[in-house]
Amino acid sequence: MKGRKLHMTINRRRGIEAFIFLFPWLIGICLFFIYPIFVSVRLSFSEITKFKGFIMEWVGLSNYNYIFLYDTKFVPTFLQVMADTLLNTPISLVFSLLIAILINRPMKARGFFRTVFFIPVLLGSGYVMKQLLGMGADTTSITQGIMVPEQMLDLLGPTFSPIVQSVLDRITIVFWKSGVQIVLFLAGLQGISSSLYEAAKVDGATQWEMFWKITLPLISPVILLNFVYTMVSFFTDSNNALVDYIVTQIFTNQQFEYGAAMSWVYFIFSFTICMVVIAILRKRTYNMGDRA
Amino acid sequence: MKAIILRRKKIKFGQILLILLLGALVCFTGLPLVAMVCRALMSTEELYIYPPRIICHNPTMQNFSDLLTSLNASVVPFTRYVFNSIFTTVVTVVLSILVCSLGAYGLTKHKPAGADAIFAVVLAALMFSTHVTQIPNYLVVNKLGLVNSYLALIIPKIAVAYNFFLVKQFCEQLPDSILEAARIDGCSELGIFWKIAMPLLKPAWSTLAVFSFVNNWNDYFSPLIFIRSDALKTLPLALQTLAGGAGVVARAGTVGAATLITTLPAIIVFAIFRGKVMETMTYSGIKS
Repeated sequence: MKGRKLHMTINRRRGIEAFIFLFPWLIGICLFFIYPIFVSVRLSFSEITKFKGFIMEWVGLSNYNYIFLYDTKFVPTFLQVMADTLLNTPISLVFSLLIAILINRPMKARGFFRTVFFIPVLLGSGYVMKQLLGMGADTTSITQGIMVPEQMLDLLGPTFSPIVQSVLDRITIVFWKSGVQIVLFLAGLQGISSSLYEAAKVDGATQWEMFWKITLPLISPVILLNFVYTMVSFFTDSNNALVDYIVTQIFTNQQFEYGAAMSWVYFIFSFTICMVVIAILRKRTYNMGDRA
Repeated sequence: MKAIILRRKKIKFGQILLILLLGALVCFTGLPLVAMVCRALMSTEELYIYPPRIICHNPTMQNFSDLLTSLNASVVPFTRYVFNSIFTTVVTVVLSILVCSLGAYGLTKHKPAGADAIFAVVLAALMFSTHVTQIPNYLVVNKLGLVNSYLALIIPKIAVAYNFFLVKQFCEQLPDSILEAARIDGCSELGIFWKIAMPLLKPAWSTLAVFSFVNNWNDYFSPLIFIRSDALKTLPLALQTLAGGAGVVARAGTVGAATLITTLPAIIVFAIFRGKVMETMTYSGIKS
């Protein structure tokens, strides 16, 4: 009896200590995440009647109706962003897996290469990135200027050069967004035991066979993780046309309620897509069982 | 014998090919960076040469001195923006690391009631993009009376879900026996956190330092919303003002120099913590 009582008090003490430890963080997350989420939901169903004091009036679904029935810009931009993301994500994954496999091999200057491919991550997706990618109204596009010399474009003629340009543009953006993915793939590759490769080699497997039969199945969980990570990062990127549109609506045109409604539509759709992708890919990932 | 030599040669040849291939790819990712440095060093005439140049032929430091002098003449000197950026970013990063580590440590090692619910909130927060909550955030900051102050740039960014998540992954690997031993030796709970847990979590929080620094440093959105007076603007926002507005063509070089200055600190911070970051990314990737 006595022992049990003591145990309980220790547990309770632990609980109180934990609460003290968590306290500052909890305040922060309540003030700047949980409360804002509720306000944002409420806002999307309301209309602001008075800016002073921020008084809202419930209007039901009218903001949402406006998005789909009247706004001529939302749906096309939305579809384009979705298409872009679904196209860019696989390219990004293939590219980063390739790089990860290459820099996982023993060679000179491995550390250097690993660092260099990670540097774009540091520039983030802020204004600097925007400047570099030449999306600023006044800068000549660096991605376009560099990759193709003018003469080559002239040779290709007017039909092909825009295609080549846009492909190259996309590739550069994808390259710049693959830093984290490369590191995650590297981690996955290093988790594969070398004895598997040795055994396969003894049995006479070629490099090509080893890639498809050993490497790919064993890193499939990392592929899933990377797929989701890449999609989320494309969706939430502030250079993304739709995010840009929403932000303009909110802060330039002061359409707070409408902006909130659009953010929720966007969030729910992108979240659903992520979930669908997870559901599809999870069935195909190879589970190591005891390794995980 | 001959076969062995041949084989070795083949491997070497493969190595060279590999390095060449990677080198080409490095150029691909690295060129925009090189271009950025060069733009900062080009004179205005060179910037507008046709066809456009990537590598600058006669570098000048004119842009940097322009940046310092011409902007000094305006109301707010450029150095003030640099100070604003450094001050708010460093304070945010330090506080965020402390608060998030404290919380994550408390959650994993003391296991309070409702720990699962808290972790579910963290996971949900990871999926949300910040623009959903931007307006209500402004309302909160406004209500607290922080608009147009340094605190508006610092306080909302302390309790970040991602930081919490990362530290938590690492806290789980801390062996309980060490903490228990310290407790038996009479160490206070805060003492255990500060003297034992924090040093062991160094890889985690040094990674956090880099990511948090980069994110806060590059963030131009929250100063855009929260800051009204020029004297409190941070570098990215100042850069935006510089790049827009009248006389842009004449200032292209200055913008280039400002872009370079804005980019450098993130790279320096990364260079300091490089080894640790790579290590942490490797671990947390597998665990999540």
